[in-house]
Amino acid sequence: MKAVGARLPRYDGLGHVTGRTQFVDDVRVGRTLWVKALRSPHHHAAITSMETSKAEKLKGVHAIVTCADVPKNVYGHLEALGVPADEPLLADGEVRYKGQPIAAVAAESEEAARAAVEAIEISFEEREPLFDIRKALDGEAPQIHQWGNVYPHYGPYNHRRVRKGDIEWAFENADAIVEGVYRPQAIEQMPMETQVALAVPEASGRLTIYSCTQAMYFSMGVVAAHLQVPLNKLKFIGGTVGGGFGGKVDTAADTVCALLALKSRRPVKWRWTREEEFLASSTRAPWHIEIADAVTNDGWILGRRMLTLHDSGAYSRFSPYGVTKHAFHHTGAYTIPNLRFDGFVVYTNRVPTTAMRGFGVTSVSFAVETHLTRVAHAIGMDPWQLRLKNANRIGDTSGNGVAMKDPSTVPVTLAAAERVGVELPAEFRQMTPEPRSGDLLPEHLREQQRLNGEDS
Amino acid sequence: MPAEALVPTSAEEAARLYGDGEGVVVFAGGTILLPEISAGRLKPERALMLHKSGLDGISTDGGTIRIGAMTPVSALVGGPSELISRFAENVGDGEVRRSATVGGNLCATAGVGAQRGDLGAPLIALGARVRSTGKGGERTEPVEDFLAGDRSGRLVLEVELDAPSGKWGAETLRRRHAHSYAIANVAVASNGGGLRIGVSGVGPTAVRARAAEQSRNPDDVLRDVEPVDDAVASAEYRRKMLPVLLRRALDQLETA
Amino acid sequence: MKLTVNGIEQEIFSPPLTPLLHVLRDELDVTSPKAGCQQGGCGTCTVLIDGEPRRSCLTAVAAVDGSEITTLEGLGEPEQLSPVQAAFHERYAAQCGFCTPGMVVAATALIERKGGPVERDEVLEALGGHYCRCTGYVKIVDAVMAASRGQTGAREDEPETGEEAPVMIPGSPA
Ligand SMILES: Cc1cc2nc3c(=O)[nH]c(=O)nc-3n(C[C@H](O)[C@H](O)[C@H](O)COP(=O)(O)OP(=O)(O)OC[C@H]3O[C@@H](n4cnc5c(N)ncnc54)[C@H](O)[C@@H]3O)c2cc1C
Ligand code: FES
Ligand code: FES
Repeated sequence: MKAVGARLPRYDGLGHVTGRTQFVDDVRVGRTLWVKALRSPHHHAAITSMETSKAEKLKGVHAIVTCADVPKNVYGHLEALGVPADEPLLADGEVRYKGQPIAAVAAESEEAARAAVEAIEISFEEREPLFDIRKALDGEAPQIHQWGNVYPHYGPYNHRRVRKGDIEWAFENADAIVEGVYRPQAIEQMPMETQVALAVPEASGRLTIYSCTQAMYFSMGVVAAHLQVPLNKLKFIGGTVGGGFGGKVDTAADTVCALLALKSRRPVKWRWTREEEFLASSTRAPWHIEIADAVTNDGWILGRRMLTLHDSGAYSRFSPYGVTKHAFHHTGAYTIPNLRFDGFVVYTNRVPTTAMRGFGVTSVSFAVETHLTRVAHAIGMDPWQLRLKNANRIGDTSGNGVAMKDPSTVPVTLAAAERVGVELPAEFRQMTPEPRSGDLLPEHLREQQRLNGEDS
Repeated sequence: MPAEALVPTSAEEAARLYGDGEGVVVFAGGTILLPEISAGRLKPERALMLHKSGLDGISTDGGTIRIGAMTPVSALVGGPSELISRFAENVGDGEVRRSATVGGNLCATAGVGAQRGDLGAPLIALGARVRSTGKGGERTEPVEDFLAGDRSGRLVLEVELDAPSGKWGAETLRRRHAHSYAIANVAVASNGGGLRIGVSGVGPTAVRARAAEQSRNPDDVLRDVEPVDDAVASAEYRRKMLPVLLRRALDQLETA
Repeated sequence: MKLTVNGIEQEIFSPPLTPLLHVLRDELDVTSPKAGCQQGGCGTCTVLIDGEPRRSCLTAVAAVDGSEITTLEGLGEPEQLSPVQAAFHERYAAQCGFCTPGMVVAATALIERKGGPVERDEVLEALGGHYCRCTGYVKIVDAVMAASRGQTGAREDEPETGEEAPVMIPGSPA
């Protein structure tokens, strides 16, 4: 244990402070071409015509790719897990968000690439866009996907669900029902390094890709799948990332660079502008979360009903996974024996949303913690005491039935109270994560204890 | 095609090269222009670069302060007028202010998501005048008239003002970040019996609030200006806050 | 046109309205200044122009013809760090490192100008236009203050973070 507790220099620290660290954009390869993309100016539209021949003839233009150039245009990260993909690399016949890439150009300079993009002739037939997830399920709402407006692939269901205990019993036996709606909004991850990639065709026939991805093997798989080449045709160089925060989990620039490098036989680089990063890169999802808690006057949460709509934007990407994590965390750090949770991944015409720092969990934590304080106020109880009373204990089961072995809710809550100078009565101060007993093991929590016993 | 750069080495040469301004883009500090050029949104054919024109510098002769168009905004921070300094110190951050010029600030148009030209408010309040050249030759006019008129075809040479002697008040509303553009700026100055009020940051150019000057009723400022919606703030919020800011600025006059 | 970049005189062939950032990166292969936004808003491109920190993305190369440019590469070597570089390294003020070139250059100019210990509010003012998305700024501010006090070198002690870290928005009063 030489490292734990020791003050070790960062392995990349010297490079960072002397300007020697080589980020993707800093890699110099002779004869590199610049990439610019034609992006959708509309939120939702059919592409009625597209003609690239004029653009191709412009001076300095070496290659243009459209959906027709992609061996497998529609591919998704979750496809390997049996989840059908829904997102084209380059738009094919329609666009579902403003900024969606339609075509990309590799040219001698940024200016020449921009001019070529402007010279691509394209026409659209605009469609009504959908932005409000609450309206997505209305019959009249614009339909965004062949699947409708809801991602349908959660086993037999079209949403992630949790069912535990007897929710009807909880609501019948509650002294109060406390409801709340929570709507955390979209956030741009905003790494200081915008999306960037450099693809270099090698004499060996391989393609070297300098990537700023946060997830090298995801990106490798995605590029190989779109290109329909075996992995050994690709060499990825990465790991030096100018900030990601979730925004570089999806593959953004690598595949297009790979295609253009193959087509032009030249190294190509695509560095997104800050505008592109803000307007077209993924964000954290906006959510719509409704909670109803069945509570007793002495501060037990008997049951929780919860509905979540997760705004996936135009394509699902990792959203189904985000909602699954969200579902696992929907009781927060507390024990609630009776649950009914329904979480939907809903499509809109926003930019596709994705991971950001605690994917799926920050949203639900915000909602749950705010809601607990609301519950406390509703029944006139101290919010710290309410939390400690319902805090996870050894032997409690989580929403999805996992028995807690080492829950930290009690010590963490007590430490937080101490740090902010909250004085709690001795019975709360002395709480531990040990299994429930006495007053803390009411009738409605006995059932879960016994069940655990039988299970294990 | 890269732009042809004209680099005059004197004010006279600048005026001559500028002519009536037809087809010439004046390039001062470039803090607004250069990002537009590098993003390919602006493709000037001829750029008049003023960095060697000698149009920079602050001088005082008699009771008149002259601020050259190419004076960096940073030179106004802690400069001859405390009121101007109050607003200059909020333009961007120190690094931006070293490049940003007074002329560029006066000629700035609204950005994509924010209003610019903060210095207009204190300059109007202090009764400053703009000396410019171009079509029809040189002329000097109050800042508010210059801003309200057609500025295309004018090359700003300098701003002049009487050395401030009276009392003043200043209020600015912006988010707590070095780069936040103003939500609203209010500058007031009184000299003898006269009161002058300048407002900037709420619309595409700074405006003199004459109705409010006359009535001294802060609510009347909404008769003088039409606040806009942008990424920084809503028009509604600006309408609510402007009278509040003006009242506070006027209170400063009372207690000064 | 000519520039002296990190002590070496260079002839420049880019067109006059090329941003200094692009001249450094693409004509001279000096890559520490980063293209974080190319519109003045982030501080990753800051370099010293005749000793003063300015945004290279906002600076047309013709406007600084004949100037001395210093970038992070010119401040020190891995074997011989400048005080600010050493403090950033020792105090973990660089995480992903993308904002670091601008931060270190601007901090170096601040300390040089002041000529002695700089205070927290002075650091916030000087670095107020520089974004960092990784560190939360606390370690950066601490590093600059430490560098200005000569507190660099082998450190086996706990970091002297001073008072409890305040919530900070760059550019706001501490
Ligand atoms: C990060 C950042 C933050 C900013 N924050 C602020 C802020 O808080 N408040 C604010 O007001 N501005 C702000 N700005 C905008 C800008 O920096 C200032 O308005 C600055 O004063 C503009 O001056 P410049 O010399 O750089 O203009 P330039 O970019 O050179 O020119 C701007 C416009 O004025 C014209 N022009 C310039 N000089 C003359 C002249 N002498 N005669 C005729 N026309 C001329 C140009 O042709 C152009 O149309 C900010 C900019 C950035 C990048
Ligand atoms: S790249 Fe120059 S300030 Fe962001
Ligand atoms: S260290 Fe990553 S942005 Fe500052």
